[in-house]
Amino acid sequence: MKLSISYWRLKDRYYRLVGVRCEECKNEFFPPVYVCRRCGSRSLTDKEMPKTGKILTYTELKETLAGFEDQEPMLLGIIQLDNGVRILGQIVDTAAENLSIGDRVKAVFRKIQEHGSSGQIFYGYKFVRT
Amino acid sequence: MSRVYVASVGYTTVGDHWNKSILDLAIEAGFQALTGAPKVKPEQLVVGNMFSGLSSRQEHLGALVVNGLGLTGLPGFKVEAACASGGMASLAVFNMLKAGQIDSALVVGVEKMRDLDPGEVSQALCAAESAEYTQFFGASFVSLNAMLARLYMYEFDVSRDDLSAFPVLAHRNAVNATHAQFRKEVSYEDVARSMVISDPLRLLDCAPVGDGAAALLLVSEDLAGQVKGPLVEMAAAESATNRFSLYERDDMLDFAATRLAAHKALKSAGLSINDVDYLEVHDAFSVVASLSVEALGLSKKGQGARDAREGKYARENGLATNCFGGLKGRGHPVGATGVYQLAETYLQLAHKAGPNQVDDASVGLAQNVGGVDTTAVVHVLRRS
Ligand SMILES: [Zn+2]
Repeated sequence: MKLSISYWRLKDRYYRLVGVRCEECKNEFFPPVYVCRRCGSRSLTDKEMPKTGKILTYTELKETLAGFEDQEPMLLGIIQLDNGVRILGQIVDTAAENLSIGDRVKAVFRKIQEHGSSGQIFYGYKFVRT
Repeated sequence: MSRVYVASVGYTTVGDHWNKSILDLAIEAGFQALTGAPKVKPEQLVVGNMFSGLSSRQEHLGALVVNGLGLTGLPGFKVEAACASGGMASLAVFNMLKAGQIDSALVVGVEKMRDLDPGEVSQALCAAESAEYTQFFGASFVSLNAMLARLYMYEFDVSRDDLSAFPVLAHRNAVNATHAQFRKEVSYEDVARSMVISDPLRLLDCAPVGDGAAALLLVSEDLAGQVKGPLVEMAAAESATNRFSLYERDDMLDFAATRLAAHKALKSAGLSINDVDYLEVHDAFSVVASLSVEALGLSKKGQGARDAREGKYARENGLATNCFGGLKGRGHPVGATGVYQLAETYLQLAHKAGPNQVDDASVGLAQNVGGVDTTAVVHVLRRS
């Protein structure tokens, strides 16, 4: 799989949290959907998500997937953004013992993975406590 | 609509099969099932498998296994639905038999996991999750289940020991199961002290990695006379889906796919959940077993783990559950798991379960899940 190609397609999603908004009922979604989950409309247009929210749940993963070894142990969370949208992302610049469900976080732009062989670096959103 | 019956079953032990290929395992289980009902000639083969392309550089398993069985000419194909591949393969065959399109078929579930490094296994399992929004950020399959476990414990005040109840139960049941991967009891203390994998999930919360294959020979009612011994009917097989990723769901603790599939299956069998006296739940992780019994309507929301701790799912005086160890004790060769569950349910209902036989078991329900309840397949089996 050429990660670089899917990454290139998704840059706006990864860099600025561009999801979609339903033209009919105005609900917002991230990751983007093809059909509105609330009203069934297919009229959806790109919309940047708010960058702040709260932690719904989190974990400290001891052994990461290949390509993330330098980030062990990795903190991951499911974040509810201030528009109600829930997304998954890494939580950084803190340790597990400092985290609680309900903590406020904001999205920041960081390096996600680096490919050893090609040296390619992939960027995207992560979360920090506020 | 024809009725569908289980003519015979087969399975390998689950664990390290260093000297056997994915095809060797599939053939071993397949031959056992065919030998159990020698007069039945299958008209169709369906293979349940998740990642043979990654584990063995081998796809096209339908034709490969047909040829291995010496049945060249027979139609065969593979079904993939992540960890529910085995259950889904059986469902595909069930529908063909039900429709009267064929009168007999062989289902083989198989997975070769131990040829991969542990990191490669994580990667392969994670392929069931979104490549773009889950895998890209480094979230492995266990980390998703860990976040689910933390939420479950937080929302319903579930303790470490409550969560341990299903793994403890599974290991106790696996002791007498000759095909199980871990035939060893574990205590609540063992679970609580095992290595942290992804907090709060520990090693003994998680099903192990192993190789294995299981098979079912299924027949229509026209061929039921060819079946030796007690007749077990596959009364229903249904499937449903949830929103693809855990974080896309309004209520992450509602296993809606399991709930919907079970509702359809019980309705189609003309039964209620209270009629079930043998249960196979998909205990890939302790929290998954707990949320599954809740979605099946057996435990109230938030009470699944506590009910298990209080003995509700115990072999003795409870609703006998995962009597051969479940995914946790018998093992979880992913694409084979759903077929193991059905073979084991058959053994119970045919009263061939050996030391862990449940008295008078007559209605069995097996729940097989792909992803975090993203796909669920529920079968209802009934002793005729
Ligand atoms: Zn809408």
